[in-house]
Amino acid sequence: MKLLSSDLAKKLNIPRDTLDRWIRQGRIPVLRKGDACEFSRGVLIRWAKEHNIDFSETPSVEGSMTVDHPDSLASAMIQGGVFYKAPGDGIDEVLQNAVSVIPGLSEKMKQRLLSMLIERERMTSTGIGGGVAIPHPRTPISDICETSFITTCFLESPIDFKAVDDRPVFVLFILSSPDIKKHLHLLSRLAFCVRDGDFISFLKKEPEPDALYSMVAEFEKRLEVSR
Amino acid sequence: MPLTRIYRRFMNNNDRLLLMIIGAIVGVCSGIAAVLLNRSLSAMLEWLHHYRDYYWAFIIPAIGAALSSLFLEKIVKEGAGHGVPEVIYSVSRYGGLLRMRSGFSRLVSSCLTIGSGGSAGPEAPIVMSGSAIGSNIARMFNLNERQRITIVGCGAAGAISSIFNAPISGLVFTVEVILGEWTALNIVPIALASVAGTEISRILQGNQIVFGHGGFEIDPADIASSLGLALFAAAASILLTRSLRGMHHVSEKVKAPIWIKAAIGGCAVGIIGMFTPVALGEGYHYIQDMIRGDFSRGIIIAAVCVLTKVLATSFTLGWGGSGGIFAPCLVIGSLVGLTYHRALSLIWPSAAWVDEGYFALLGMAGLISGILQAPLTGIFLIVEITGGYNVILPLIVVSAVSSSICHYIEPASFYLKDLKEKGQLLRPGTDARVLSDLKVTELLETDCIAVHRNMLLRDFIDIVKRSRRNYFPVEDENTGHFVGMIHLDVIRPFIFNPEIYDAVVLEQIMDTDVDIVPPDADLPDVLQRMDAKRLFSMPVVADDKFIGMVSKATLLDQYRKELIVQTTTA
Amino acid sequence: METQLFHIFRNTPLGRETLLQSIYFCNTLGVSLQVYIPKFTKFLMYFENDVVQIDLDESYLSFPETAIAHATELIEAGGKKPKFLEPKAFTASTLPDIPTNFDFMCCPRSISDLSSKIGLGYIGPRVRRIVKSAVFPVLITSGAFKQWKSITVFFGGSANATNSLKLGFRIARLSNLPLYVFTQADGKNKDDIYAVVKEGCLESDFEKYVGGWSFFQGGQLEENLYDVPHDSLAVIGAFGHGLIKDFLFGSKMEIIQSILPNNMLIVGPNYSVRR
Repeated sequence: MKLLSSDLAKKLNIPRDTLDRWIRQGRIPVLRKGDACEFSRGVLIRWAKEHNIDFSETPSVEGSMTVDHPDSLASAMIQGGVFYKAPGDGIDEVLQNAVSVIPGLSEKMKQRLLSMLIERERMTSTGIGGGVAIPHPRTPISDICETSFITTCFLESPIDFKAVDDRPVFVLFILSSPDIKKHLHLLSRLAFCVRDGDFISFLKKEPEPDALYSMVAEFEKRLEVSR
Repeated sequence: MPLTRIYRRFMNNNDRLLLMIIGAIVGVCSGIAAVLLNRSLSAMLEWLHHYRDYYWAFIIPAIGAALSSLFLEKIVKEGAGHGVPEVIYSVSRYGGLLRMRSGFSRLVSSCLTIGSGGSAGPEAPIVMSGSAIGSNIARMFNLNERQRITIVGCGAAGAISSIFNAPISGLVFTVEVILGEWTALNIVPIALASVAGTEISRILQGNQIVFGHGGFEIDPADIASSLGLALFAAAASILLTRSLRGMHHVSEKVKAPIWIKAAIGGCAVGIIGMFTPVALGEGYHYIQDMIRGDFSRGIIIAAVCVLTKVLATSFTLGWGGSGGIFAPCLVIGSLVGLTYHRALSLIWPSAAWVDEGYFALLGMAGLISGILQAPLTGIFLIVEITGGYNVILPLIVVSAVSSSICHYIEPASFYLKDLKEKGQLLRPGTDARVLSDLKVTELLETDCIAVHRNMLLRDFIDIVKRSRRNYFPVEDENTGHFVGMIHLDVIRPFIFNPEIYDAVVLEQIMDTDVDIVPPDADLPDVLQRMDAKRLFSMPVVADDKFIGMVSKATLLDQYRKELIVQTTTA
Repeated sequence: METQLFHIFRNTPLGRETLLQSIYFCNTLGVSLQVYIPKFTKFLMYFENDVVQIDLDESYLSFPETAIAHATELIEAGGKKPKFLEPKAFTASTLPDIPTNFDFMCCPRSISDLSSKIGLGYIGPRVRRIVKSAVFPVLITSGAFKQWKSITVFFGGSANATNSLKLGFRIARLSNLPLYVFTQADGKNKDDIYAVVKEGCLESDFEKYVGGWSFFQGGQLEENLYDVPHDSLAVIGAFGHGLIKDFLFGSKMEIIQSILPNNMLIVGPNYSVRR
């Protein structure tokens, strides 16, 4: 196999200078031919494993935590769907009804998710004020979903959610993500929207799904610009 | 082309066979070089023998030394070093690259020095030549550094094995002194080279034990007495080391062309030699006499001989003659042993001590182990050159004791002292090795966001949001020159105070008194500076431009990788 | 990392011309200049697979008391910051090791022989060894300082000759000067040669930088060389073909260097762009 030195260095996740030196010193089973490196893939992979060095076929993109996240709020909401008039008087009951309508989950999964949501609510309420609650599991559950989803659930009647501002909650955003990074990312974006008074009054009108998605997308755009 | 492919397979994946073949070839070549030197030395001694009795004979070593340094300096332009340290230096730093001319230059020059009567040994020159031959053969095969170092070791091993007819010593000397590394990969080719070198010497000059003896009857009291000998041997080693260095400093202060200096040294040796001929030349046949017990002189003369030999060796090597200290060590060692024996019989005349040759032999081991601080080499060399396995127990005792005492007084051996002082002794798998291999450019973190000196705090806070780093280099927006650093801690008090966002420009809050690192700095220096100032990271600035940060976090990462790669052999 | 040119200063009028040439080269390309004023007649350069000992001509050591002043004066007049190299490592006490991690190195045609020997057609053995082993190209200056206004790349069309093209493009990019390609094809046609360019993935650069292609299918190289502008920097590839073909360098390279008095940038077989 033949690769440019700089590409191979990226694959091994080491600086180019280090690669060049290792080749010169004969520490790595690679031959240099001008700018190119010649090696046998199998041998190099074995070598990398023995020496505790990553060898990735596709170079990893670093620093994607805050910048250019692929998951947008709107897409997660589309994934989770919007539901109206969820019945119930207590927290557990409302959650149970809300979870039951989440699309694409097996009964067993729903049971697990529900118990985790309830457990989380026992800790502290996820009602973040303004009549909004964001129930979510405490630790991400990657086997439930491969992509993040947010299920929006307007309640039949506002209930006491022990929210921070003690106001009754009229809408739930059930948030579930495969990993903690995406979870925090979505949570911070959602919080940004909910902080806005216009957004809350918009929600109070129980908008159509498409209207909600486009509103959220607009808010996200504002967020991008402000950074 | 299948042939080149096979060749490449060897080179790349499994080079063992290739290294073994090349190693054997190199062993043969350096073995031949050793025999050549040995032969020309004896020819020269023979030829000059008739002139020894004239009153002007003291001038002969002077002429030899002068010619030898002229040859080194003007004809091959070698820039004379000590030989063995140069090989170790090149192995440490440059993967064993040695010049072609080193392959023969020392042979000629040491032949001139020693043949004319200078007190030095042919071993260091032959090690140098063997290593250089190995290095150049490795170069022809386009080997990489790791392979080349092994082949250089093969050259050295072949040379020592051939000149002493001692394969194990060649192997042990190379691993212990030259390479400082013992791995399954390098030991096999080196062993083969030793065998090849020895075999060549046996074919060309016959299989003879260099210093044969009749065997000794050793009882426990003799072993106990050898402890005392170890003390004397250690003392003599220290004396020789100090006197060599001292003489070197004296000659450095004399302002004269090198060949004149060499001639002065040679003259001194010649004069010493007129009174004590033991001090002249490599002195092997005196060793032979002493081991056989034919050296009949008394304690006073033996002790004087030790001193004169030390002096003659210092004059020869310190003033610019060419040669090694191996042979003088052996001579001094056997003289020390003899003196010790005479002293013992003087104190306890009635005790039945073992033969005096036994002490001469132990003395040699003590000196070699003391000077080189390489006990294994001392033990195996003496066992092999004297053909006496039955003395191995006292040999081990003397070697171990002598080398530990010397190590206590002079922490670095004769060969390594200069290198250690300059920080150039980089043994494989050590901290110094890893740090010298890693370069600042390999540790560079380039994810810092540079800001301008006239930027408002408000804009800066936006940048802080985006950045993953705590450090921000400040540049001049016109020239791009680095002017200072901002650490996140500095702006922490202002962050929650939006009123002054527009009132502060970065120039006001940046730190202009920053320690910077040039990209070509040596890592140990950088680390020392970090430790001294308790810094965790430092900016790298080249040509007034910021190019990245070095930090201890990245260093640890790379350091570990490097250490694993350097020490794990698959 | 900054790009650097390494120059060994000779404190003589000839050395002045060479230094002026180096300064001009650095200014044109935006490269920084690193000067070594030798204190010993010998030094070593350790390359990847070779160690070269350079025995300088005695004139390099002449008048050491004025050397630094002279060099500083010239460099400052050229608008550069003088930077002098102090060798850190020594193989023996009078034998410094000079690093080899530069991007260019400036050599006269010979550095170990008397200057009276230097002339067209002569490149000293040490300079050849450097070219052969180095990863950096070597700038061989004309006898007297001469500015150059264009670049001429000699491209013969062999697969490993693309090094000279790559270097030519790099110089053109750095200097914004017009670049011409000179090919003595010896019977091959233009498409064959261009196929090599394609193979080396150099098409886009070729389209972008090449201002003209002097293509000679026949005729004598010696005669055709008159076409090379007198104020052009010649970029030539040198490949060790072994003893069979020509000692160390290709035969074309020998003809060119014995006829062309221009400044030449010679790129060896190990050339690689580091940054």
